[in-house]
Amino acid sequence: MKKTLKIFLLLGFLFAGLKLSAQSQEDMRLNEFLVLNTNDFEDDFGHKSGWIELFNSSYGTVNIGGCYLTNDPNNLTKYVIPKGDVLTKISPRQHILFWADNKPFRGTFHLNFELMDSKEILFIASDGHTIIDRVNISHDLLDSNVSYGRTFDGVGDKIGKEGWQVMERTSPSTNNEGVDRIPPGVLIKKVDPYGVIMAFTAMSVVFLALILLYVVFKNIGKYNIRKNRQRSEVAAAASGKPQVANVSAEIYAAIATALHVYSQDNESHDIENTILTISKVTKNYSPWSSKIYTLRETPHKK
Amino acid sequence: MEKGIFSLLAGNLQQFIQYTGFANASWGHILMICIGLLFIYLAIKKDWEPMLLVPIGFGIIVGNIPFFPGLQIGVYEQGSVLNILYGGVIQGWYPPLIFLGIGAMTDFSALISNPKLLLIGAAAQFGIFGAYAIALLMGFSASDAGAIGIIGGADGPTAIFLSSRLAPNLVGAIAVSAYSYMALVPVIQPPVMRLFTTHKERLIRMKPPRAVSQLEKILFPIIGFLLTGFIVPSGLPLLGMLFFGNLLKESGVTRRLAETARGPLIDVITILIGLTVGASTQADKFLQLTSVYIFILGAASFVIATTAGVLFVKLFNVFLKEGNKINPLIGNAGVSAVPDSARVSNNVGLEYDKTNYLLMHAMGPNVAGVIGSAVAAGILLGFLT
Repeated sequence: MKKTLKIFLLLGFLFAGLKLSAQSQEDMRLNEFLVLNTNDFEDDFGHKSGWIELFNSSYGTVNIGGCYLTNDPNNLTKYVIPKGDVLTKISPRQHILFWADNKPFRGTFHLNFELMDSKEILFIASDGHTIIDRVNISHDLLDSNVSYGRTFDGVGDKIGKEGWQVMERTSPSTNNEGVDRIPPGVLIKKVDPYGVIMAFTAMSVVFLALILLYVVFKNIGKYNIRKNRQRSEVAAAASGKPQVANVSAEIYAAIATALHVYSQDNESHDIENTILTISKVTKNYSPWSSKIYTLRETPHKK
Repeated sequence: MEKGIFSLLAGNLQQFIQYTGFANASWGHILMICIGLLFIYLAIKKDWEPMLLVPIGFGIIVGNIPFFPGLQIGVYEQGSVLNILYGGVIQGWYPPLIFLGIGAMTDFSALISNPKLLLIGAAAQFGIFGAYAIALLMGFSASDAGAIGIIGGADGPTAIFLSSRLAPNLVGAIAVSAYSYMALVPVIQPPVMRLFTTHKERLIRMKPPRAVSQLEKILFPIIGFLLTGFIVPSGLPLLGMLFFGNLLKESGVTRRLAETARGPLIDVITILIGLTVGASTQADKFLQLTSVYIFILGAASFVIATTAGVLFVKLFNVFLKEGNKINPLIGNAGVSAVPDSARVSNNVGLEYDKTNYLLMHAMGPNVAGVIGSAVAAGILLGFLT
């Protein structure tokens, strides 16, 4: 029985692992592509050709080794991205560029098709049939050296074209919006030069957060008080003594202090037998200054 | 031969002299060293925030010993010991660790027993945004203004955390300004409190806080974190650590962890943060007009925060029944200078009624201010980055 359970658990973990891996690949996006490259980015061999940019939209590293890129919906496994290449591990929020030059012998990132005669680009999961992302190529919109990409990296429909545009300039292996992006601080100062909107919005959020806390703990407090009252009523009914309502923390503190003092042996008396005074005391002898208490006793010889 | 030895010795001696602080000193260095000495004096003689002003003051002296550049010793020189330690400030991981310790030493009972005091902690954050608006008017960028405004939160770690993200070049000035004004809370706040309150209001006696159960104390950090974390995820490093530290304290089963967090850990981080922030005030980086503006804005933010807290209580009292009214003298405690501002509330209250102890009541808005300033920092971070 235990053995069967172990096997099931093992299979469960295996399945979960596969599922997690698939989920990571799901975060990859086709991000930008250039069909006709005559005067744009060059590959490591000094050649200009079309390219496809992928973007890891997640906040974890994704290994795309074993996934597929294709330009043919009827042949989803046209180009397999080689496994075992460390460069196929894409860091969070990073890009990777594939050259559509139909020269796969040049390395991992050189595809076995070109984009000139393609109608569509598809990115396929490592299972060989799950389409993770796809985009149509509108040749009529695209001139040479003009790319088509997502306005904001990874943002837009997963399967479709919403959020895509003809790019003002190509941005291979870098953020699509980064070039023209105005820092939020600059933008905020432009729309809110006196900080009034910021102050109002931010104070509203601060108040909202603390009002929520107030409401929650107000009710928890009420519930707690009600419960305590019920408990004390039950206890009072059982003991037959009158109950004390609404006891403040100060009274509890006083009782606790008295109990603590009482628990100390040397403080267990209520009536003090000494007087505290700032007047000079003529009594010269005090057990506190007695030498007998400060000297070691001589060992007894037997 | 002899001439050769002498010329070699003379050359070496000349080079040694060039490397000494005397050869590289400027009036800026001397002035900054004097400021460092003043901080140490104030800490030891006047007992003003000694835990902070001693490390910062000595750090200012360390950072302003003139040296020949390029020897990998300055705080701004890549790979130097001080530079590596300063990484905790610039990358913002000292402040959350300090918040962990603060959480582990803070008792939220006063707040839990009277949760409406939370709102005072929220109102006092107006100091941050008031200073932000003034900084914008003075021509600072929005990011710099946000970093400067957070001084009004009266929370050193939060100020360092936010400025390291929004304006790393201003961290030194902002941190020194924040800690200086926190030390000056007993000087800055009482006149403002007296100005905006009447004699009758200062005598208001508040209900003693009720006893808070252990369950409520455990629930507070969990629910508090879930609510604030979901609303302002950008404040997670500070809020997460604050509430986590408090859970360690209140859970009752992690006594050792809580003691480490509020004892050795926070002490180590306080030493490192104080020393490195002080050292970052190198004369050439610190002695600029911008630093003067930051100090002016810092003072303004403290005054605005105190005013907002006091006036909010007065407004709040309009809606409260007789007997439930809040003494507006605890409004100043909405800034998160724990426990100094609460102590100020108590002392000013005692000036008018020798038997009216406001300390426990003021601790409520005081710790609410810690939460409020962390939330405000999260909002600024979310908006400006």
